[in-house]
Amino acid sequence: MDEAKVGAFPARARADFMHEVANTPRGRGVLLCIQCGRCTNSCPVARTTDEYNPRKLVETVILGLRKEVLLGNLPRYCLSCFTCLDRCPQGGDIGEVMFAIRNLAAKEGNVPEGIIVQAKNLFETGRVVTPTRMALIQRERYGLSKDISIGIDEAQKILKKTSFVELISKKV
Amino acid sequence: MKYAFFIGCLIPARELGYEISVRKIMPLFGVELVDMENVNCCAPFSIQSLDYASWLSLAARNLCIAEEMGLDVLTLCNDCYESLLMTNTLLKENKELREKVNSVLATVDKEFKGKIKVKHFIDVLYDDVGVENVKNAVKTPFHGLRVGVQPGCHLTKPKRLHFGERIGIKALDELVKATGVKSVDFERKEACCGGPMRGINDAVALQVAKQKLDGLKNAGVDCIVTVCPFCYLELDLGQLEIKRHLNVEYNIPVVHFAELLKIAMGMPLEDWEIRSHKIPLAKVLEKMKEAK
Amino acid sequence: MEHKSVLIIGGGIAGIQASLDLANRGFQVYLVEKSPSIGGRMAQLDKTFPTMDCSMCILAPKMIECGHHPNVKLLTYSEVKEVKGSVGNFKVKVLKKPRFVDESKCTGCGICSEKCPIKVPNEFDMNLGMRKTIYMPFLQAVPRVATIDKDNCLLFQKGVCEICQKFCQAGAVDFDQQPEEITLNVGAIIVATGFDMFNPEQIPPFGYKRYKDVITAMELERLLCASGPTGGQLVRPSDGKMPKSIAFIQCVGSRDRREWINNAYCSSICCKYAVKDAVLIKEHDSHAMITIFYIDMRAFGRGFQEFVNRAKAEYGINFTRSNPGEITEDPETKRLTIWFEDNVTRTVKSLTFDLVVLCTALVPRKDSAELAKTLGIETDNYRFFKSPDLISRPVDTTVPGIFACGYCLGPKTGDIPDSVTQASAAAARIAEVLAEVTKQ
Repeated sequence: MDEAKVGAFPARARADFMHEVANTPRGRGVLLCIQCGRCTNSCPVARTTDEYNPRKLVETVILGLRKEVLLGNLPRYCLSCFTCLDRCPQGGDIGEVMFAIRNLAAKEGNVPEGIIVQAKNLFETGRVVTPTRMALIQRERYGLSKDISIGIDEAQKILKKTSFVELISKKV
Repeated sequence: MKYAFFIGCLIPARELGYEISVRKIMPLFGVELVDMENVNCCAPFSIQSLDYASWLSLAARNLCIAEEMGLDVLTLCNDCYESLLMTNTLLKENKELREKVNSVLATVDKEFKGKIKVKHFIDVLYDDVGVENVKNAVKTPFHGLRVGVQPGCHLTKPKRLHFGERIGIKALDELVKATGVKSVDFERKEACCGGPMRGINDAVALQVAKQKLDGLKNAGVDCIVTVCPFCYLELDLGQLEIKRHLNVEYNIPVVHFAELLKIAMGMPLEDWEIRSHKIPLAKVLEKMKEAK
Repeated sequence: MEHKSVLIIGGGIAGIQASLDLANRGFQVYLVEKSPSIGGRMAQLDKTFPTMDCSMCILAPKMIECGHHPNVKLLTYSEVKEVKGSVGNFKVKVLKKPRFVDESKCTGCGICSEKCPIKVPNEFDMNLGMRKTIYMPFLQAVPRVATIDKDNCLLFQKGVCEICQKFCQAGAVDFDQQPEEITLNVGAIIVATGFDMFNPEQIPPFGYKRYKDVITAMELERLLCASGPTGGQLVRPSDGKMPKSIAFIQCVGSRDRREWINNAYCSSICCKYAVKDAVLIKEHDSHAMITIFYIDMRAFGRGFQEFVNRAKAEYGINFTRSNPGEITEDPETKRLTIWFEDNVTRTVKSLTFDLVVLCTALVPRKDSAELAKTLGIETDNYRFFKSPDLISRPVDTTVPGIFACGYCLGPKTGDIPDSVTQASAAAARIAEVLAEVTKQ
């Protein structure tokens, strides 16, 4: 992290980073960006905080500042509301590119705690939100079935086959 | 009409009122909901942030179950809807990707074939039941009630995924209006509720929700109508948090569209259902009674 | 003699220039124009860039010359219905729509319009002003002849009125006029049908038609024009007051690859006309606050970058490199808010404006595909007419003997001088090709 903050620009820049993102699933749109800023002007988060600006984040990707992007938490600021998908005049799908960036960040071990909790929940129970005991009692009381059928074993088999388990055990 | 009912995680755990309303309403329109057995999480955006293959495989497994049932999927949650719809569309269009996902699914003896459609509860009401039939089923139209509709993002965005299915949020507005209410335009209507920011930066999440609530307040609505369980939480519970952290009080009741429709169809909310709303419903329920 | 006759479709500046070039060389020119008058888009403009010349002052003499030229036969209010044959010998059927006024008798005195009781929005003024149902589209119209708009005329719709006929001293009004089919024999054809403006309703977040004070650049052009619906007074459509702050949004429908818009090209003139309009507004009101939101300022060509520099330095126009995503309206004050990124501080801000001008893309004519079919020529994937060889035969179409010029060839042609250049080129190509055919 430190190196990313203090290093000289040319040494930090990775010329191939934009293409690394472009070649990650959902990342192709980064190649279409013309930096017009319509994503930023449409973004509900960019209006509330100066920290986040999707155009600027893509600019950072284009400049090849790999560590700044992947080790920070700015890509998590995207709400995936997909307003920019409908608005980007180039069809650049910036909200989709954010998934590519987050997937790459996860590979670097950068996953927010909240997502680790959800992911662990998913692995152990087959779902990201589990009903509390109280909720189960209520379900029964209000005439809803108490058993909600969940394929935990199958979900685990799938997640073991992908890199999921490895990703959530990694930490920065 | 028969649908494979994918209820998701959040609704059966925390928003029982939404679930019950849908289960009561839909059969009255001749829509049979068959609960999907042995499903797993839809793989919402938080999970998609981790890994592409995990998302597609988890979502595709659910779709395979519906394919085996021979039924189209009906979802209630906008997140489930988008995850399953995107996966279904991607895998139908892209053979290479389909083969990759199927190689993962082979471990659980499933194969994605691309035989079914994914629909939101709103799609089914609009396309299959029809606004006219919804209107006819309404026993007590709430004339004079001003509501702000919160469509949520993934009912309509991105446009290309939903193109041709419905005309954006107009369809939802028409359905809401079928209950006799006036759907009021407000600033930031099509914007996100801020929910996905929870756990990343709660202060920003509240600010995003606040933008929306400001718009609703300026428009002078009696209540907010939601279709997504996350929007519901963010706008209902969120109002309490905004009051606590930002010292701004809105007091705008939030109801699920399914609840509004249920009441309009002559089935009042039970006490526990009313109590489950963080912002008290008393005011708006009173107005509904007056409307009669 | 047919080798000396030429058909020109479209009476805008390109069609007019081509007509004059050929007529002056001794060709018999038939100039077909769909609307009641020649003049085209240029007639609607107030000033031309970058010299700020009065558009009509340059155009009108050419229009009049066209109207009086012994070798030019104007067929206005007419459409090409059928084309057969090949280079050197085209057989063309033209439908002359009834204007219900005898062109040979009408003196253009205007008493009919004055007395006509029915007012409808004037297309020439982008529907911002009104005209009568018997009308001349604008003051300098050529031919100077009235036309009855049948769809709105009381006599045709309700069976009563005839006031115009009573007042016409020349006895020119003829309610029994019938459509007329004219057959022409020509050696070659020029297509110069120009462009349509992109309809910004296709981008709903901009609120065009929902918000009264969001207008298109073409509408602004009419509002700024001394002969326009407001006599050159710039006013907000919502309350008729003078706007104090105005925003221009560039690339509305241009450089837009979204599948439901599909205009990947740069329209090539919007940056320039926006700067021109901004300067014009400043000349109307030096205190007006003007911001131009752009993606890239594409001010190529002689004198343009200098013009942009002057707009910044001398006129104090703000240029912000940020492409807005939406416009919102305050329901009470009707003021319009735009969110953008400040280029210096790189922070996201909002500003509120009285008027927002959308610089909309130039798109092919709605009926361009139909006309292409009639002529047997090909179009590109945007529906602009296609040249078989953009480098060595840029004004040819895919059919020998049929040429094209002006914006109907697509955005590679920039502005008025380009259109005029192409028109002369197409005229020269015709002279060349027909000489060749005659020799054989």
